[in-house]
Amino acid sequence: MQPLFPATLLVLVPLLPLVGAICTVLLGRRLGPRAHLPAVAGIAGAAAVALILLLTTYAEVGHGGAHSEPVRPVEMITTLWQWASVEGTPAGEGLTSGAQQGFSIPVTLRLDPLTATLLVIITGVGLLVAIYSIGYLHDDPGYPRFFALVSMFVFSMSMLVAASNFLLVYVFWEAVGACSYLLIGFWYSKPEAARAAKKAFLVNRVGDFGLAIATFLLWMTYGTLNFHDTPNSAIEGILSQTRLADPGGIVGGVIGTAICLLLLLAACGKSAQMPLHVWLPDAMEGPTPASALIHAATMVTAGIYLITRCAPLFVACPGALAMVSIVGATTALVAALIATVQNDLKRVLAYSTISQLGYMFASLGTGTMLGFTAAIFHLVTHAFFKALLFLGAGSVMHAMGGVIDMRRFGGLRKVMPITAATFLIGSLALSGVPPFAGFFSKDEILATLHAKAYPSAHAQEHGDLPVAAGADRSPLHLAAYSSDAHAATPAGAAVGLDSLNTPAVWQTLFWMSLVTAGLTAFYTFRAVFMTFTGPVRVPPEAGHHAHESPPVMTWPLIILAVPSVLAGWLLFSTDALAHFLSATPSLWAESVRHTATPLEFHWDLAIQGTLAAAIGIAVAAIGHLGRRSDLPQMERYLGPLEPLFANKFYFDQIYQALIVKPLEGLALLAALFDRSVIDGLVDGVARIPVALGSLVRNMQSGLLQRYALAGVMGVLAIVYALAWQLRG
Amino acid sequence: MNSVSDLGSIVSRSLHDTLALSLPLFRPELCLAVTVVLLLLCRMLPVLKMLDSAWVALGGAAFALFYAWSDLRGLPGWLGGDALASRQEIFTGLLVFDSLTAYIRLLLMAFLVLYIPFTKVSGIPDREDGADFYTLVLGATLGMCLMASANHLLMVFMAVEMASVPSYALAGLLKGRRASSEAAIKYAVYGAGASGIMLYGMSLLAGLLGSCHLPTMARQLAGLAGAIPAGNLGGVEMVLVLGGLMLAVGLAFKLSAVPFHFWCPDVFEGAAAEVGGFLSVASKTAAVALLLRIAFGLGMPVAVLPGADSSSALAGQAAALQGALLGDARHFMVATIGLMAALTCTLGNLAAYGQNNMKRLLAYSTIAHAGYLLMGVAAAVALSGSHPASARTAVSAVAFYLATYLFMNLGAFAIVAFLRNALRSEEIASYAGLIRTSPGIVVATGVVLVSLIGLPPLAGFWSKFLIFSALVEAISLSAERPLMLVLLVVGGLNTVFSLYYYLRVLKVMTFDPLPADRPGEALSLVSFPGAIVTALAVPVVMLGIFWSGLYACAQLAGAFAS
Repeated sequence: MQPLFPATLLVLVPLLPLVGAICTVLLGRRLGPRAHLPAVAGIAGAAAVALILLLTTYAEVGHGGAHSEPVRPVEMITTLWQWASVEGTPAGEGLTSGAQQGFSIPVTLRLDPLTATLLVIITGVGLLVAIYSIGYLHDDPGYPRFFALVSMFVFSMSMLVAASNFLLVYVFWEAVGACSYLLIGFWYSKPEAARAAKKAFLVNRVGDFGLAIATFLLWMTYGTLNFHDTPNSAIEGILSQTRLADPGGIVGGVIGTAICLLLLLAACGKSAQMPLHVWLPDAMEGPTPASALIHAATMVTAGIYLITRCAPLFVACPGALAMVSIVGATTALVAALIATVQNDLKRVLAYSTISQLGYMFASLGTGTMLGFTAAIFHLVTHAFFKALLFLGAGSVMHAMGGVIDMRRFGGLRKVMPITAATFLIGSLALSGVPPFAGFFSKDEILATLHAKAYPSAHAQEHGDLPVAAGADRSPLHLAAYSSDAHAATPAGAAVGLDSLNTPAVWQTLFWMSLVTAGLTAFYTFRAVFMTFTGPVRVPPEAGHHAHESPPVMTWPLIILAVPSVLAGWLLFSTDALAHFLSATPSLWAESVRHTATPLEFHWDLAIQGTLAAAIGIAVAAIGHLGRRSDLPQMERYLGPLEPLFANKFYFDQIYQALIVKPLEGLALLAALFDRSVIDGLVDGVARIPVALGSLVRNMQSGLLQRYALAGVMGVLAIVYALAWQLRG
Repeated sequence: MNSVSDLGSIVSRSLHDTLALSLPLFRPELCLAVTVVLLLLCRMLPVLKMLDSAWVALGGAAFALFYAWSDLRGLPGWLGGDALASRQEIFTGLLVFDSLTAYIRLLLMAFLVLYIPFTKVSGIPDREDGADFYTLVLGATLGMCLMASANHLLMVFMAVEMASVPSYALAGLLKGRRASSEAAIKYAVYGAGASGIMLYGMSLLAGLLGSCHLPTMARQLAGLAGAIPAGNLGGVEMVLVLGGLMLAVGLAFKLSAVPFHFWCPDVFEGAAAEVGGFLSVASKTAAVALLLRIAFGLGMPVAVLPGADSSSALAGQAAALQGALLGDARHFMVATIGLMAALTCTLGNLAAYGQNNMKRLLAYSTIAHAGYLLMGVAAAVALSGSHPASARTAVSAVAFYLATYLFMNLGAFAIVAFLRNALRSEEIASYAGLIRTSPGIVVATGVVLVSLIGLPPLAGFWSKFLIFSALVEAISLSAERPLMLVLLVVGGLNTVFSLYYYLRVLKVMTFDPLPADRPGEALSLVSFPGAIVTALAVPVVMLGIFWSGLYACAQLAGAFAS
């Protein structure tokens, strides 16, 4: 295969949406109601190219039976240009401090199985959402702006997953954040939307700060920010195959743990994990298609991507890894509890997104090959069914004249049958009902947590394999620690965190996840029953609008429904995704690869998961099936817990009191100081030149004689000054 | 040895010097001279009267630009050679060809190539006056080229006059307007006075030092300083100081430095904006080059003087000794230039406050910028004795400043000219609300003015940055620490002062409401005037981002000061 071929194509994936965005901006007004054309064409082109790239990469990895490993890691790199380059003095041996070293930031794109998979998701869901938006936003005055932003987002997001350098990742991490900000605030004249956009931006800044510090630390530790090896350089890329093959290649210890925790902070911001999850529910103020694309399917998975990409870094720091799972499982449970009492359909879905992302984090935190691939597997299936659910909610909202409170409508299955059917499929997938997509991916996550929690049970099953046990301190890791001069003793924070890595903790996490599965089914079907069953009720806002949405909106629903049903079974039964992903250099690392276990379907876990889902659905059915959704609901049985859930565990109030209010006070003081002291000073100083200026201007009388006189006086003055100076 | 063969050898030697050595290095000037002749011919021959003189002038300027460019490329220092070897005296030592000559000549020719289309589009001069106008412009530019390459006091005077006399006529170009005629008369009288004083100073210096050839004068000066114990020069010192000061008066007039700046606002306001652009850019460039020539010619360490073999260690020591002896001369020059720089900069900026006429404002802005340039020259001279490498950097900063100044100031004057055509006014108040009718022009004005302030990321920022960093270097390295510190502070303060009056123009253009009865039509960037403005404003942005190429050229020019 020509190595140039995918490399050139890879550039097209971000480039086409970028061109689409620029065309929309330039021609938007002239195109009028056809302003979607450049964006849709650009994203469609990108989706086609991404599909080709996926197939090419897949062919490169090679097939093989369910139990065979790929032969070698697959990575294709294309450097577009050198962004910044500073020459350095020749570096010494090994890891040197950045000061002596050259600094170069190449704009390099990479293609590996992980990137290829995510590119297809981003462009594929992006395309469907863009098509859906044609119908959803057809009368909106900001029509061209929306498509420009979506196009821009697809560009930024594909650059984010294709970049092969931490600095570029940071740049596009910010770029997707900016797009998200602009889309949440799309209806900027609505105060709630503007406030939500601001909140999302500010909360994300906390995470971005973590990424920035992590980048600095990575630079100081490794002397480069590249993922890949740079040709003709002694410095190995942080995630390069050469470094990963070397047992001491990754720095653990305090520095390594700090880097991982900062990366986790960044991931928490973007992926709305506790304690930075507060922005995502408010982000639902944006247009529903944007919520589907950015705040459900793609952007919020950037954190998952980042941790998977940095898997070897995390695996070298077991404490940080355990933190990932703890954050994830806790978020999953808390968000699911909050979702059970929400009455706003989009907010139910938003908390559900947070909860599902928590699942993925919990899975990543196990640090095993199965954990990483299961998280990406769930990411893929979740992208389909969550986009489907959001677009379905958008369809409902569109028909109800903008009303999204589930208590104000009901029985809509008769009004909008296609939406109801596809929404049901999405809900079954989300609840983890077999054989829908979510069942398989959630089952894998439960399995990977179970393996961590009850290692002995699994070790018996595959006695011949070096399964990651308990603390995951394989001899390999100990060797890595002792051979690394920078982290001779994993002291301080690392040791403290490592104590989290015990089977008891993992058992807790496993049971939390199982409970969450039940809750997921409950809140999902509560929403389904409240919205689509019972007597038909339509709010007055809908007017004559209450009808099924136009085909341009229903077709994306139908298309998304297909993978929501099939993707899980297809990908699980063939083990294709896991096999494919394991050829990613980051997952090919020795420390990750030795944890690989053969594909297994755990009947006991599947039954537990299904049982949990069944209980959830049953409870929802008892409470809500066929009832009027405005009647008193289940939450009256919650007792004192109800206000806790309804107020979202008081996160917003705590932040308001602890952070926002003190800052506002400080800002008020600063403003007062600025207005009275600084402005006063500046105004005073500013009057001086004006006064002097008028003095000088008076000298310019227009009379030549005076000019000559002034010249003579000037020369005399200079003579005097010189004479005085020479004498002294 | 008979006198006939002696004469013959002199003739053949000077022929060789002229034809084989000097003329090939004089091609840009020759192009201008030929073009001037052609322009005059065109007026006389009825067949050629149909020809638009602007195109003839542009053709000549383009050829001159090409030759100036190839001369600069042909320098040994191009692409990292030894630039010092390029010094070449031509025309029996009257002129000198080195990297500074080549660089300034390239600037001047580039200026012409931009300036002629600008005047053609702006409509001043009209078809009738075109031949006269371009003859004067090309003739004055020829004089400016000579200023940049003068190596002899006689040539200095000739060149200054050659540049000045056409300028007086240009100032009176708007024949019907009283203000224009008044400006021309004032300019001419003031200029004549300044020339007289300068000539007097030159004769004092030449008489005392026994030569008009600048390197010889430097050698004599060093000898003079070595012969008499310091502080005991008595009358000689007095005459030297007087001569030097009188020479400085002439240069200060050309530079519009305080206290010889009075002509500048009156002339700029009276004359057409096109003429103002010419005077403020080309004339300033040449005057700064001439100042560098004289300052380094008289105060230069002897290492590169003809006759001194810099390669031998003994000669090197002798050069160092003589360099040290010229220290007093340099100190005098640094003090004079530095004092003038501080005054010029401050006065220019302060007087620009409260101006209502855009051309007058730009005149004061020109004066202020002359101050910044003089600061760079002062730093360069202060460093030249002890730290030649830093002195070269300082000269490079000045050279870089001149190049960026070309674009931003010509851009400003072009905008004034085109707005005058559109609005029939040059008052700042008449620009009110321009952003609603001509947004492109307002953006271009913003680029140009913000660059004149010296804010990043525009070209003007780098110019100021380089000048100030040269001053910082002079503070830390040279003996003139207090003066340089004063200059740095004055320069910094002035940059802040200048914010106000430049931004006021932009404020009027953007925030002030559009008058209901705006005369004239809108000015689009997609038009001939718009294209000219774009061609001048885009380099200001581009040079702000990609400045290393130009700086490499400027460094080449700086290599002359070694």
